[in-house]
Amino acid sequence: MSNFYFPDDLFGEFDRLQRQMSSLFSGFPTSLRSGPLGAFPPVNIGSTDDTIEIVAFAPGLDPAAIDVSIDKGLLTISGERKPTAPQTREETRSYAQERFFGSFRRMIELPQTADGDKVQARYADGCLTISVGKREASKPRAITVQ
Amino acid sequence: MDDNTQLTERKTDAIARRDETRGGRRAMTPAVDVFEDAQGVTLWADLPGVTKDKLEVHVHDGNLYIEAKAVVPTPEGLRLQHVEVREPHFARTFMLSADFDSSKIDATLQDGVLKLTVPRREEARPRRIEVRPG
Repeated sequence: MSNFYFPDDLFGEFDRLQRQMSSLFSGFPTSLRSGPLGAFPPVNIGSTDDTIEIVAFAPGLDPAAIDVSIDKGLLTISGERKPTAPQTREETRSYAQERFFGSFRRMIELPQTADGDKVQARYADGCLTISVGKREASKPRAITVQ
Repeated sequence: MDDNTQLTERKTDAIARRDETRGGRRAMTPAVDVFEDAQGVTLWADLPGVTKDKLEVHVHDGNLYIEAKAVVPTPEGLRLQHVEVREPHFARTFMLSADFDSSKIDATLQDGVLKLTVPRREEARPRRIEVRPG
């Protein structure tokens, strides 16, 4: 519902500015390949002791049409999202078309510790979850004091 | 700052375009597509990570509310390093005009996309009026 007094885009601008600022100052350096903010699909990245976990928020895709590949430590998620096809009955009017459509590609730089041979990808409820294993040598371990 | 350098950027910005405060928590505004034909309105909303039991669609005082919570299963001990989706809540409200039949709204959720069909009341559907020779 749009606010009567402020155009929606004003909030969009504030929100975008805030997100840009927070990403600049959140303490994590951004990658050269991170791409523009707001690119589809939005991605969250985290890690555990054993794996690197990537979640791409990409609803409404055919899992078979999502392409996930790893090349030299660079993870690529690509595919195409079809525009919403209204049943072309007699005159159809469109009021909003905010959902992303078209082809997309996101590149994620994996750390040196990532093992490109241990990758699992799962698509459920519109979220693509990718789990990349870490090399044995990089896992945390206790060092015995002699 | 120019927002229009890329078409797709602008479109997906809508996902988190305006944070709404509801019940003290912030929620994302899901991106929607809305089409209307003679039968009624069809709405698609992007709700990634939302399952059927975490989605609530209800009509109250002529408003249509969509509220949802995204749940993404994560392993234990996860430390987030890069975050583009901050709030796991979605909320968006639409006004329903009186010519829609709110008792016949149909909702389906598949792969994180909600499809709502809001039919027009029978008497509000467009009709062709026969003109007879006088």
